Amino acid sequence: MYRYLIVLLVMLLPFEVFAINAEDVMKKSQAAFLYQGKDFKARVIMKLISKGGQERTRELTMLRKNFGEAGGAQKFFMYFFQPADVKDMTFMVYKYPAKDDDRWLFIPAINMVRRIAAQDKTSSFVGSDFTYEDVSGRDIQDDTHAILKEEKLGARDCYVVKSTPKKGDVDYAHKLSWVDKGNFLPLKEEYYDKKGELSRVFTADEIKIIKGFPTITKRMMKNLLSGHRTEVTYSKADYNIGIEDSLFSERYLKQPPKKWIE
Amino acid sequence: MRKFSLVEFSVNHPKLVVILSIIITVAFMTQFPKMKTDTNPKHMLPDTSDVRVWNDEVDKTFGLYEDMIVVGVKNEKGIVNTDTLGKIKEITGEIMKIKGVASRDVNSFPTITNVTAEKGTLRVAPLMTDTPKNEGELKAFGKNLYDNSLFLNRIISKDGKTTAIYVPLEKGANGKEIADRIREILKKESGDEKYYVAGDPVAKDTFGAEMFKLMRVFSPIAGMIMFIVSYIMFRSLFLSVSIMAPAMIIIICSMGLVIGLGFPIHIMSSMSPVFLMAIATDSIHIFNEFYFRFREKKDRKAAILETMKAVGKPLIYTDITTAVGFASLLLANIIPVKVFGLGVAFGTLLLLLLSFSLVPAILTFINVAKIERAAGREDAATSRTSILLRRLGSIGAYRPKATVAAGAILFALAVFGVMKINVNNNLVEWFKYKSDVRTADRILNKSLGGTSLGYIVATAQEDDFIKTPEAIRYIEGLQRHIEKLPVVGKTFSVADYVKRINRVLHDDDPQYDAVPETKNAVGQYLFLFSMSAKPSDLDNVVDPAFKKANIWVQLKTWDVQAMRDVIKGINDYQRSNPAKIELKPSGIAYFNLVWNDEVLWDMIKGFFAALIIVFIILVFNFRSIKWAIVSYVPLLFTILLLYGVVGFTGKDFDMPISVLSCLSLGMAVDFAIHFVSRLKQRLKESQEPLTDALLWTAARPGKGIMRNAMLFASAFSVMLFAPLTPYITVGAFIVSMMMLSAIMTIIYLPALITLMQGWLFKGDRQNGKQ
Repeated sequence: MYRYLIVLLVMLLPFEVFAINAEDVMKKSQAAFLYQGKDFKARVIMKLISKGGQERTRELTMLRKNFGEAGGAQKFFMYFFQPADVKDMTFMVYKYPAKDDDRWLFIPAINMVRRIAAQDKTSSFVGSDFTYEDVSGRDIQDDTHAILKEEKLGARDCYVVKSTPKKGDVDYAHKLSWVDKGNFLPLKEEYYDKKGELSRVFTADEIKIIKGFPTITKRMMKNLLSGHRTEVTYSKADYNIGIEDSLFSERYLKQPPKKWIE
Repeated sequence: MRKFSLVEFSVNHPKLVVILSIIITVAFMTQFPKMKTDTNPKHMLPDTSDVRVWNDEVDKTFGLYEDMIVVGVKNEKGIVNTDTLGKIKEITGEIMKIKGVASRDVNSFPTITNVTAEKGTLRVAPLMTDTPKNEGELKAFGKNLYDNSLFLNRIISKDGKTTAIYVPLEKGANGKEIADRIREILKKESGDEKYYVAGDPVAKDTFGAEMFKLMRVFSPIAGMIMFIVSYIMFRSLFLSVSIMAPAMIIIICSMGLVIGLGFPIHIMSSMSPVFLMAIATDSIHIFNEFYFRFREKKDRKAAILETMKAVGKPLIYTDITTAVGFASLLLANIIPVKVFGLGVAFGTLLLLLLSFSLVPAILTFINVAKIERAAGREDAATSRTSILLRRLGSIGAYRPKATVAAGAILFALAVFGVMKINVNNNLVEWFKYKSDVRTADRILNKSLGGTSLGYIVATAQEDDFIKTPEAIRYIEGLQRHIEKLPVVGKTFSVADYVKRINRVLHDDDPQYDAVPETKNAVGQYLFLFSMSAKPSDLDNVVDPAFKKANIWVQLKTWDVQAMRDVIKGINDYQRSNPAKIELKPSGIAYFNLVWNDEVLWDMIKGFFAALIIVFIILVFNFRSIKWAIVSYVPLLFTILLLYGVVGFTGKDFDMPISVLSCLSLGMAVDFAIHFVSRLKQRLKESQEPLTDALLWTAARPGKGIMRNAMLFASAFSVMLFAPLTPYITVGAFIVSMMMLSAIMTIIYLPALITLMQGWLFKGDRQNGKQ
């Protein structure tokens, strides 16, 4: 509520340009986008669509729990339904601020849990056009941020923030984000590669209010260079459902509790 | 007859004819600003051709790139050291910034996906995320590099001295321009490393660009040489100009026509100026005869009219046969080849028209005093060339049997040589041995898997079938079978990923370097792989429905024969391992094979068509099948001898040579037409015995033939100094063809006519008497 109050005050101020700096916008955006609620659950359907129109589908249940403030540690638990031959596969991520993730994967065919090394955060998430970083977030302090302008995107007033990575360890040169001034969700993002060409575009295509939290329930990432795109739909999204800490363990990777994954 | 009226008209209104010619030429020239060029040899096959449609479909299904440049880095002291690895990382980064490079799929140490197990942790990540700094890191890196069988011969040579950066290009990017940018980047580096830029787009686009450059340089040089040689022959600047004028006009008009019709100037048509210039030398027969006649008559106009009467008919037929030779290319399926045939055939027919209008018109302007001096040397009885030619002719006329016997032996040898001909084509060998392009290719092919790339697409009958262990094993078996071929340097497929992951998941136990037992295991491994790898890693080897798989085949040579061997290998494998999977070749190596075969087949088709039509024209010309057969002999003999030599020297029968075979036909027959026509005229006009008439023909029109051959050959000899081998081939082929067919005509026609006089003159004599 405090947040909204600030926003309200900011909007009333005549010198609004100076009222909020770019880093704050991005921090708020991160909180609204990736840290909403204490925990979160959704059935995720990802459609990976090639330039030629061929589709691959990924279907999974995603569980997330926050450990600390926005920008802090989080744990993810994913259970796969599709493709059919990976049914029962589970994937767990411990996310830490300013440190590499820990990841585990359960492979049912050989009944084995394997740790997976966190690598390049800009690598693809399950073969989609989203990177791991797009899914779990990027540390705010890894980039320098600047508000380029404020403009309307559709009916929504947005800040347009340019984020430039401090190190050249990612495959893009800079990113432009259109952050909704009202709910701070990113409505659109443009990634520019090192040749200065627009390479990827993220769009939030449907936003629903779930338990009071504005949530992007449909999103798309399009790779303009390869023509490949990924459409993601969240269904059965819910917040603050009381996920126990113990879920995020190797034991439950092998035998995920039905009540959470359904 | 009509043609004589044209000559008379031209002689009576020379200024009008000259002005008209200029107006027409200028009209065609107005088309020049519309000129478009197309340097891509690939466009020889239209977008709709089966192979391009199929290759495009495969590229789309598997997210592949039509073109790939391979950059080789070689360090004699070994690649694995901080300095060299740092450079590789830097260079890769720079290359990825070039416009037109598909950066996301550049494969090199810093970008290629590696699957490893470290202390129980599975790692799917680029091989070299940071440059190794110390001994320990270098050692670990070396282990990663050499342990993964997917890398061996692909990005690291067995001896550890060579690595490659694979640079795929976006559709429509120009390979030469990107290769030039890469070379600029490499130039900045210093140290022990040597760099090589290779691959099909480099060869093709460089070739296309070089070809245009060469034509711009060679056409004027060929023109200059012709000008100089004709001056030496006739000692008259005016005559040299008169010979060049029709040549220039037909070049301008023919190019204007092609441009005006909206065709881009392609590699083939860029050669037409040189061809047209050579063809224009045909008008030399007019000047040759004019000199003799002028010396005899001393009257300009009368000499012109008589000259045209004497050489008119053979000129018509020689130009028509030449035009037919080129027009036979219209039968081709390949559009640029058709356009080339059309342009040159048009130019040749225009030359014919000019020979009867502009050339006689120009001759009326000639300075009588000067020409008298020059023509004074022209005496068939005393000039040195004529004496030599008479001697040549007498070999055949006096010793016909020995001559024919010697010919028979040569003939047999040539047939033997022809049988040894090897049909092949190799784009890279179109460059000279020491050229950058070819050197780079040779070095990389020696140490790595190969710069030429082909694919084998395996298609199952149902979705998800590729995930079955059965399908994976089938693909693996195919790879092992194909790898037995010496031309195959490396193959890789989805099977390699599956095996690699199986092994890594089982703590790098070599025992698990195998295909797992169940479909679920395969599916889960591949899913796991796709969770972290670049999307293209999996896309490149399987389609999204897992109905199709793509097997990469790196070839160590650009010989089209290599892909033919691979296809044969595929067929063998299918025969001995029946399965519900269909296998089809694809990729650039396959394209080159199809392209080559198509051109070759087109040419052979054109060759036989021209062979038949030329014969029919000869029959029509001489109104006698017998004379047609006799005048056919020098042509056949010349072509056979040339191909015999091709067979003996082991030179591949490749695309340039096949193109030439068509063209040579129409040109090589010219001399025989001149010879026989003039001989028959002579026999009719003077009542001298056959032997004398033969010797006269060898000495006088023979001089025209020799002059024609010399001029023609000198124009083409320029090509011998070209930096691209097809030009040298074309030059050598045409020079020897002209010289050979001239000599064949002057030696063999007298011999054959002497031997067969009874048969040949049977009808004529009776006719004469009745």
